[in-house]
Amino acid sequence: MNEKIKKNSFLTNQIQVSLKINAKNRSLTLDSRTSLLDALREHLELNGTKKGCDHGQCGACTVIMNGKRQLSCLTLAATCEGANVLTIEGLAKKDKMHPMQGAFVKHDGFQCGYCTPGQICSAVALLQEAKDGDASYVTADVRNISKELKLSEEEIRERLSGNICRCGAYNNIVQAFKEVHSADDEMPTWKFATKMQMKSAKRK
Amino acid sequence: MKTKNATGIGNAIDRVEGHLKVTGEATYASEFKVENKAYGQGINSTIAKGEIIGIDTSEAEKLKGVLKIITYKNAEKLKTFDKERPVLATDSIAPVLQSNKVHYYGEYVGFVVAETFEQAQYAASLVKLKYKEDATARFILGQNKDKAYNPSEESDYERGNLKKGFSEADAIIEQTYNTPIEHQHPMELHATIASWNNGKVLVYASQQIVEDAVISISGTFQIPKKDVRVVAKYVGGGFGSKLNVERHLIMAVMASKMVGRPVQATVTRSQMFTNTGLRQSNIQVVKLGAKKTGELTGLLHETLAYTSTTQEFQEPCGSMSKMMYNVANAAVSERLVPLNLQQPFSMRAPGEATGSFALECAMDELAWKLKMDPVQFRIKNDTQEDLSQEKPFSSRLLIECLTIGADEFGWNKRQQKPRANKKGNWLIGYGVSAAARAAPFNETHAKVLLDLTNDTVTATLQMDATDIGTGSYTILAQTLSECLNVPLEQVVVELGDSDYPITPGSGGSWGAASYCNGAKSACDYAIAALKKNRNVPNDEDVSIAELLKMNQITSYESQSLAKPDSEFKKHSIFSFGANFTEVWVDKDTGIYKIKRMVNVGSAGKILNPKTAYGQVIGGLTMGAGMVIAEQTKVEPNFGNFITRSFADYHVPVNLDMANVDVIFLPEEDKIVNQMGIKGIGELGITSVAASIANAIFNATGKRMRDLPITPEKLLMAEVEDGVTV
Ligand code: FES
Ligand code: FES
Repeated sequence: MNEKIKKNSFLTNQIQVSLKINAKNRSLTLDSRTSLLDALREHLELNGTKKGCDHGQCGACTVIMNGKRQLSCLTLAATCEGANVLTIEGLAKKDKMHPMQGAFVKHDGFQCGYCTPGQICSAVALLQEAKDGDASYVTADVRNISKELKLSEEEIRERLSGNICRCGAYNNIVQAFKEVHSADDEMPTWKFATKMQMKSAKRK
Repeated sequence: MKTKNATGIGNAIDRVEGHLKVTGEATYASEFKVENKAYGQGINSTIAKGEIIGIDTSEAEKLKGVLKIITYKNAEKLKTFDKERPVLATDSIAPVLQSNKVHYYGEYVGFVVAETFEQAQYAASLVKLKYKEDATARFILGQNKDKAYNPSEESDYERGNLKKGFSEADAIIEQTYNTPIEHQHPMELHATIASWNNGKVLVYASQQIVEDAVISISGTFQIPKKDVRVVAKYVGGGFGSKLNVERHLIMAVMASKMVGRPVQATVTRSQMFTNTGLRQSNIQVVKLGAKKTGELTGLLHETLAYTSTTQEFQEPCGSMSKMMYNVANAAVSERLVPLNLQQPFSMRAPGEATGSFALECAMDELAWKLKMDPVQFRIKNDTQEDLSQEKPFSSRLLIECLTIGADEFGWNKRQQKPRANKKGNWLIGYGVSAAARAAPFNETHAKVLLDLTNDTVTATLQMDATDIGTGSYTILAQTLSECLNVPLEQVVVELGDSDYPITPGSGGSWGAASYCNGAKSACDYAIAALKKNRNVPNDEDVSIAELLKMNQITSYESQSLAKPDSEFKKHSIFSFGANFTEVWVDKDTGIYKIKRMVNVGSAGKILNPKTAYGQVIGGLTMGAGMVIAEQTKVEPNFGNFITRSFADYHVPVNLDMANVDVIFLPEEDKIVNQMGIKGIGELGITSVAASIANAIFNATGKRMRDLPITPEKLLMAEVEDGVTV
């Protein structure tokens, strides 16, 4: 569905871009300085993609563009002509959440939720990077890397380190990712002290 | 309290609002749909002290889309401070753009309103200011010790006879611990959409305490409270920085009044360094004395910190030192130096996070000097009475925290001697620390609306509480489910709106206890009233649906409140904890890894272990950040922050964190409040830094008393006297 291109009398250096967002064709008239992030948030009411720094340093604005994770704050909307952009709003199919979204809820991979859309887009794209055999900073031997990687915990942590979570939900995020990536069903590591423990602690 | 309902309190259910957060549907401050809004952008000063002597807006005004440029020259008149350096509180007024004076580098000196975000940003960069600089500006705490003053809120505390205490000691240590400026940096930038409509104000804002924001806005604009509405449905983290109203919000309201349109203002990440609060640097001196047998005989904790030149804030670093141990002779003091830097305010566990670093490192140092195990040393000095308040603790399971934690961690494998545990190039160390954090509970109002449709009751809770990631929505839904005995699916929780009943908001670890007891009281009130109407005995078990039917009504509204009782006031109320950390230090590079942590917390009733765990690991992560990297650096000549983005202010990322085992103690505290809840949001961060630093000592024999502990500092440090290399 093509929306009608609006004329904005106050815009400086107007540009027009047509791109696909969450499987929908969108045409936009924008100030040429508009980032993809601001185009989503301020012009398309797609507020799921978050602004945490606007400088490519936090990952909150991560979207999946042409199959790869992309920092939308560092992407000028003007460069997105013809691009295929998937945002957090487009991850769920009808009412069914993407498995990564479900795993984040189950493992409590967030607290305030502000970094979460970025974390999830990053994690979803990472599933593909692992399949493609992309290397990372902690890859032991970059010349010798196979496809269909099963990522170690260290690999997961490294590859998700571009997404800051100030609430500190990292351990839960790793577990959520593991569940989808390798069906590893480890749960958060809390427990209650037993009656026995309480009793013997008193005695000492 | 017995758990009746499968989805009631105590159960580790998923967050009730979780689906909204993972699908991008949760609405944060700048995401509300508001028609015809304009965009505002603050302009920051580029001097630290002086006067604005010229403003040239001509270039900016020529730009298309610019609607208004506000400076002190044309700003609305606001209420200003009526005395010198008043104490900053969560409901303080926040005057801005009221004079040509500049007090610190980065202070707001103007605000641009434009049609688009891009235009506002660009126009802000084109406004030219001329300053007359005042060369007397001061920025460095350590160089201005002579300017220290006694804060207006009396902080000096003394018990016993310190001189005598130290004379009785067989071993004494006295050390200085330095903590740098730190920033809260919630991931959501402070943001607002503000509208001024015929004297009525509506703001969507990222605030932790809705009611105090109302008071602050009404006070600043001198308008009645009833004309101000603040909405904060989802808050993308706070950590103290969103406790009070910051000035972008005031400027947005002012701008809306001036341009006649709603104005959205989002501070930039670099403005999060200069305009949304911080934890100031502290220089803490701790002196401890003990007998050979381990009994503490004297404790002195002196803190020097800074406040701004315009307002006063004092981080109570000595708070834990006052109450933690059984030491008859103790003194705590705090002094402030006014500097031309941004006004400090609360950051997660203000007082405890930094104070515990000094106290718990000092405890480790003295234990080593006494050749005592640091766990046993702490146990030896346990007390069941808060000597500073002369009140018993409502509950204190510190010994259990330490003992159980030591078992779970494998503390018995620790070598008392530093540098004794090696693996290849790695020096391995174990560290421990104890933690205490006040667990307040404040008056809280709540409203419950019951609706009976087709035999099914829907219970809606309304209160102005906020969920800043703390899990308020979830634990309140569980509370309603429990108290009304209805399944979770029939509960609706509506928060974050000043139209709802007043709560103390989120901060200071009082949220969970206050909110849940408030909600419970509204539920209890409804049940009691409905029973009374039909002469049903109080102890008879009748479902809420049945009660509505008996009363021949399909809806019912109840409002009530909870507040501390006399028992609460007769006791000292704290949550307690213990941290155990294993670090691996590379002996050649000083690079270290936090391998694992065990954290034991005793915080009364755990309402939801899943969300409580989140609070604990979040605190541990921020505490680890204090050690590994976090610091804001001040340029010594100009007073600006050198660190002003995430590229230079490093917060922990995923790879930095260790796996953490969290153990909750099944604590039943019947005194603290009806539901036995104590706070946990700040317990996690308390003492983490000390447990890591103590582990580093155990690994390397080096005492690291300046945070953060960077590899180069660690490498350059000398081993302590008495450590064999
Ligand atoms: S907003 Fe794009 S990386 Fe932070
Ligand atoms: S959930 Fe709050 S920043 Fe990640």
